[in-house]
Amino acid sequence: MSEEIAIRVRGLVTRFGPQTVHDGLELDVRRGEILGVVGPSGTGKSVLLREIVGLDAPTAGEISFPCFEDDERQPRLGVMFQDGALFSNLTVLENVEAPLREHTHLSSALRRDIAGLKLSMAGLGPDAHHKKPSQISGGMRKRASVARAIALDPELLFLDEPTAGLDPISAENFDRMTQELARSLGLTVFLVTHDLDTLHAICDRVAVLYKGKVAAIGTIPEITANAQGWVNEYFSGPRGRAATRGAAGG
Amino acid sequence: MAETAAFDFREDEHAPVLALRGDWTVDTISGLENGLSEVSEKLTQGAVVDVSSLGRFDVAGAYLIDRTFRESAAGDKVRIAIRGEHANAMRLLQATRKSYAGPAADPRQPTGLKGFAEVTGRAVAAIGEEIIETVGFFGETLVVIGRQLTNWRRIRAVSVVHVMETAGLNALPIVALLSFFIGLVVAYLGARILGDFGASVFTVELVTFSMLREFGVVITGVILAGRTNSSFTAEIGAMKMRQEIDAMRVIGINPMDALVVPRVVAMLVMTPILTFAAMMSGIFGGLLVCWSSLGVSPNMFFARIAEVVPAQHFWVGFVKAPAFAIVLAIIACKQGLSVGGDVGSLGSRVTTSVVQGIFMVILLDAIFALWFLEMNW
Repeated sequence: MSEEIAIRVRGLVTRFGPQTVHDGLELDVRRGEILGVVGPSGTGKSVLLREIVGLDAPTAGEISFPCFEDDERQPRLGVMFQDGALFSNLTVLENVEAPLREHTHLSSALRRDIAGLKLSMAGLGPDAHHKKPSQISGGMRKRASVARAIALDPELLFLDEPTAGLDPISAENFDRMTQELARSLGLTVFLVTHDLDTLHAICDRVAVLYKGKVAAIGTIPEITANAQGWVNEYFSGPRGRAATRGAAGG
Repeated sequence: MAETAAFDFREDEHAPVLALRGDWTVDTISGLENGLSEVSEKLTQGAVVDVSSLGRFDVAGAYLIDRTFRESAAGDKVRIAIRGEHANAMRLLQATRKSYAGPAADPRQPTGLKGFAEVTGRAVAAIGEEIIETVGFFGETLVVIGRQLTNWRRIRAVSVVHVMETAGLNALPIVALLSFFIGLVVAYLGARILGDFGASVFTVELVTFSMLREFGVVITGVILAGRTNSSFTAEIGAMKMRQEIDAMRVIGINPMDALVVPRVVAMLVMTPILTFAAMMSGIFGGLLVCWSSLGVSPNMFFARIAEVVPAQHFWVGFVKAPAFAIVLAIIACKQGLSVGGDVGSLGSRVTTSVVQGIFMVILLDAIFALWFLEMNW
């Protein structure tokens, strides 16, 4: 992993009416790393994600992509939303083709092949290609959504609660797939999660959002070494200890 | 701009070499397919990819190289050897090869005459099913309403009143305005055409007969079919998609009780009121025309109505209102509950609901008209 900074957030403030979500938040995501973002519900993890990808505008502050600044184009972003957000009137394959159709001039056969390849990278076989999103399971929808997110070979991949609602085995497979994709495609991954196992298994670093700021950032041992308050509770509660044991044992 | 992708093919002394130049990404490879398929015939075992002057590289580019090798004479087991240094070429080629799952089967699409027959047959069968389902739903709703009527407390008064306001009271201005215009137009036509026969005084009969017997209730029915049916179907359909209806069932709330009956009851109450308003504002439109262009004063207008228009004409129009109300509300709720999991079905169900609603209003009106005319009412 390089020391280059892929995403730089400086002095980020977000307010919804009287409620302050981010209060001078600062965050660096290094190129090629998988960064897990955790925090109690309502600390604006998803809002941060939406602001980085440009769906919402922050009240104040700056978000930049330093290591892509020399490039002739904006870095490409791929986003997987929590429930997949697949287009429900298109088949799974057409969903993955959609960004390719919009942004490239590939022949339709090649486009379909590439979309199929991305689906299989995300762990979906050809039998799912022609199904509608409503006809496949939640886990498959998440995989299809990841395939759509990586359709254009983005530099940055954003995952919002990728393992929420999956059974432990599917979640583990999903984690493994994320890691493999990140490694083989050289992706920088920004991962919002509550899943402690995911944090232990695949995240290079973890950022803890608390009270509008990044309360701690680093590898899990670094964070737990001098954890206080919520961070301590989070990693040293019964679930946190179990996940630590699991990671150590496995 | 990205550098354009290009390649050279040369036969070295040991093996064929495919040298890649420029950026090979999803944005740049679109022009290369034909050239590569020619090259693929010449690739033999031991062919080498030279990546030393390759720029950017991504999965799409890797896929294209991989496909070229798979389609080559050497077959799909050929290993891709790489010459030169590149940041991610080896890794991407390996990942692509590993993930390639073989060609996918195309979905079966009915084609030709047989396909046409199949599609037609399915459509006819679907119409049949739709009719049976709707009639079944109609019966079920009547049973549930009947059960609730015997036990007044089970009717959800708050929901009923809410629907009465949104679907009934709020429709009053548009219903009244449109019938006013229709009354106006009918009276103008009457004044003009009957005037040619010197019978323009019959304009009063024309307006009142047509508004009371037909227009008042049909206009109300058509507006409600467009306005209320679409909103009922969309509301219930969205609840179905978001699994709210499943949640109701699990909690033990019958959606028929909670969603369908309040809507049907509210429409049953409001449609006659709207119909009455439509009749009155249509006649008012006629009155204005008679007054201004025929010189018939409002007093004379009403006196003539009292003289020549028996009350039965009002009742002939008015009794259709509850019939339309119940049919429209039931169609709307039935279509809403038939929405599937995807957005497309929501759109098509809303369309179906409105189209069936307007169709049924006009069909029922024709049946009523025949019946009443034969009965000399």
